[in-house]
Amino acid sequence: MNAGEGDPGRTTQLQSGLEIRSRLILEEGLSRSDARTRSRLNQARQAAVAAAARPSYLARWLGPLGRQALMPAGVTAVAVLVAVFVLSGGHQLTTAVADNPAGALDVLDLVTDDDAMNLLEDNDSSFYEWAAAQGDGTGPGAGQAAGGATT
Amino acid sequence: MPATSRGDTLLNDTAEARSRALNQFLASVELKAYKIAQAGLRHQDDALDAVQDAMLQLARAYSNRPEGEWKPLFYRILENRIRDMQRRRTVRGRVMAWLPVRRDEDDDDLDPIAQAPSPDLPPVARLELDEAMTALDGALEELPDRQRQAFLLRNLEGLDVAQTAQAMGCSEGSVKTHYFRALQALRQKLGDFEL
Repeated sequence: MNAGEGDPGRTTQLQSGLEIRSRLILEEGLSRSDARTRSRLNQARQAAVAAAARPSYLARWLGPLGRQALMPAGVTAVAVLVAVFVLSGGHQLTTAVADNPAGALDVLDLVTDDDAMNLLEDNDSSFYEWAAAQGDGTGPGAGQAAGGATT
Repeated sequence: MPATSRGDTLLNDTAEARSRALNQFLASVELKAYKIAQAGLRHQDDALDAVQDAMLQLARAYSNRPEGEWKPLFYRILENRIRDMQRRRTVRGRVMAWLPVRRDEDDDDLDPIAQAPSPDLPPVARLELDEAMTALDGALEELPDRQRQAFLLRNLEGLDVAQTAQAMGCSEGSVKTHYFRALQALRQKLGDFEL
């Protein structure tokens, strides 16, 4: 079972009335979906399941013997590329990011994210109070993921 | 039974179990995915196309991945598809602005029976619920895309912060920010949203 799955009726104590009521209304909206929509979704699902059962074009074209023959060639090509990258000193370029990859991603995300910048500029302390109350990974999904342990 | 035949049977059983699991997973997310796509695209057929494309891509490229990874992957694919369609629509809108006005043929496709409300609720309760749905849909439409995504993925689909971050392709901190902002905006528009 996925981490986010669970009984949609279960909620955490931390959820506001707005969150609970809006989810109920959204779910009611889903239950009212018309027959045409349900039919098209069903067709799409059947097509996807059938597509998953078929091997890819490349796999069909190569066949099992072709795949076995190409595997060593692919491994060799990757090894050569890595060797060329290392010998050309490319590793120096990635040292800074490699030291702290999560930090680099966070900074990039912060800079490219308008909302995050607005939040910093607003000095909106209510967000931090809310985030502290939520804790890490808590909230609607996490409550459900925990099987409603915090109900 | 020869060894190869036993092996083939085992492989077939595994493939069938996989197909069943995929079918079950897609059935569990299809309506919510459609709602999310419709909120982003505001067009029924475009939303259905986006969900169909996402289902096909997940099935073709990721059906061999562990089942626990399907949900964030599926929503990541769907978000990308919605964004592509929004961009394409912007370009198409610029081109169409130069052409003579044409009536949208999709307006003729509404099926009155399919559109009719189900008679389960008493009229007054149904009216209140309809009004609440309209108000919520309107408020969601006014949210910026990322805030709406975060709100629907977390609140409707029930993804946790990490899964939502994976689906949206951003950090967990960003998800918290978007979600908090969405809640603030919705509260401002809807109040406490009593039914």
